[in-house]
Amino acid sequence: MIISSIPILIVDLIGSILMIILSLLSLRLVFKLREQDRDNLIWTYLWWICLALSCFAVSRSAGHILKNFLLMTGQEAFWAKVRPFSGAINTSMFFVVGAVTLFFERIWVIYQLIRKDRQALQAAHKELLFLNQNLERLVEKRTNALSVSEYKYRRIFEVSKDMILVTEKDGTIINLNPSGYDLLGLDRETDKIESRNAREFMAEPEKWSNAIASVQRERSISNVELDIITSDGTVKRILLSGSMAESSGNEKETIHFLVKDIEQRKRMEEQLAQADKLASIGELSSGVAHEINNPLGVMLGYTQLLLRGEKKSSERYADLKTIEKHVRSCKTIVEDLLSFSRKSETEKEMLDIHQIIDDVITFVQHHSNIGHISLEKDYNPDVKQLLIDEKKIKQVLINLVVNAIHAVGKNGQIWISTDLSEHTGDLMVKVRDDGHGIEKKHLKNIFDPFFTTKPTGEGTGLGLSVSYGIIKNHGGHIYVDSKTGVGTTFTVTLPAV
Amino acid sequence: MNSNNLKRAFFTASLTGLLLSADPVLATQTHGQPEGLYVHQMAHIFFIISMGSLDFWLRQRNLIKEKGWKYIQLSAVLFILWNIDAALVHFLDEHLDILGITKIELWHIRVESIQGQNSISILYYLLKLDHLLCVPAMFFLYYGLKTILNNSTADDGNRVNP
Repeated sequence: MIISSIPILIVDLIGSILMIILSLLSLRLVFKLREQDRDNLIWTYLWWICLALSCFAVSRSAGHILKNFLLMTGQEAFWAKVRPFSGAINTSMFFVVGAVTLFFERIWVIYQLIRKDRQALQAAHKELLFLNQNLERLVEKRTNALSVSEYKYRRIFEVSKDMILVTEKDGTIINLNPSGYDLLGLDRETDKIESRNAREFMAEPEKWSNAIASVQRERSISNVELDIITSDGTVKRILLSGSMAESSGNEKETIHFLVKDIEQRKRMEEQLAQADKLASIGELSSGVAHEINNPLGVMLGYTQLLLRGEKKSSERYADLKTIEKHVRSCKTIVEDLLSFSRKSETEKEMLDIHQIIDDVITFVQHHSNIGHISLEKDYNPDVKQLLIDEKKIKQVLINLVVNAIHAVGKNGQIWISTDLSEHTGDLMVKVRDDGHGIEKKHLKNIFDPFFTTKPTGEGTGLGLSVSYGIIKNHGGHIYVDSKTGVGTTFTVTLPAV
Repeated sequence: MNSNNLKRAFFTASLTGLLLSADPVLATQTHGQPEGLYVHQMAHIFFIISMGSLDFWLRQRNLIKEKGWKYIQLSAVLFILWNIDAALVHFLDEHLDILGITKIELWHIRVESIQGQNSISILYYLLKLDHLLCVPAMFFLYYGLKTILNNSTADDGNRVNP
């Protein structure tokens, strides 16, 4: 078939010209891109692709244009000479373009790595620049934050109601908070506690050593009960928790202790236990006393009846008198037991406690041989009248004062004072002596009926039990603080009206 | 004369004999007419492979989501088609004796199929218009680069494109 070659020629000619133009324009664009960022590997890569494609386009298109020109002008022979060169260049350019293009993936991976590194570098540079510009402000900010933090933790240390103790591994004190000073009865200004060993303040140093060893072995301990000795020699019970503090750098390892004063709580528990025990004994005593009281009454009545018919000089009269005396003694004990168990009747009225104390002192001074014992009183004038049973309160106070006289011996001092409780407003009557004190092991039994340290026959052991019962019957409390060789203080509280 | 000298004399004599008794050989291979055509066709295949790999990696790296690289990918596809077209024309022109192409006069040619099938002649005629593929390919390359340049300028150099 015969076909017009014009479309082929036109497409070939125009196409070749367009190929040259477009390739050169592309080259110009890549050149601009490369100028924008000469370090960009991708732009460099595109530059090489475009360069190769341009060479290919120019060589091929120029070849085609030349071919058409030579063929149209009848110079086939010349074209035959030029053709191998044109074809060879063309083929070479194919390979160059193909080869360059094949590297795209590797170039891309390398470019991504460079880009990542560059971004990291830029970020680091930016951060460095920021730090450089704001270093002073940042340091100030961080210092402030540190100060706030330090202040916060210092406040916890300072205002803690519990003792906070920081020691070295061997127990040498590094730091002690104000509550610690208070607990140990030390003065922050004058007593230098640092570099002393906490062992000095322990009533049982072996227990302390064991606690220190446990902390080092197990890194922490919690709620270990120990006794400490305060500066005035008082022993207090404490609850100890501690843990090893990790050292940073060259600092020594330290132990941080939290010490709770549980003396008050323990005392309360003991008092509660004591109250329970006494209540039980009271119930028992009351039952027994009621059962014995009536037969005793009958025995006393019949004895007195028999006494009427006997001559006072007779031996039988003397025997009956002995029976009467012992029956009365038994009745007194029974009545005391009833008082202790709070079963006896009370006749309360509004009275001035100071007047009652004065009466008691006068009574004791007349009926007891107080010799060189000094008896001092210190009354709070704010104390008002109280609703009390005069006879029974007097009985309590006589018991306490007589006990104090027995405790101080021939030479000693007794103080009787009244005051008002700051918290409840209740009356507090204190009877204090500087006598021999009560041994610790006896303290928990002194309110028990029939408990006495006196020789047999000198005391029934009911005085304090009766006092306890009377005070409880008035809605009050009775406490004892005693230290062997120092003295004893009995405190009676009575509710204000 | 020791054994080493004997060995050396034997080696020298053998080499001399070998050189003197040599016949003429074709030490360098000649390159005839069809070889250039084969190389050219191979170049087309290589071009196709490289453009195919470019297309593959542009997809693989998700670069085709960006307009500029999308146009460059189109350009690669068109270059592949153009290469197939050109290789096919060379094949029909030079390899197969199924077409007879004669220039009748300046503006006409005769394309004759051996089997007398006009469809092959028409296909050959259409394939000869290969610039209809390579010019758009070059245009998309240009346009892709232009888009990349514009994006790069718009990003004020902060964002490296791609």
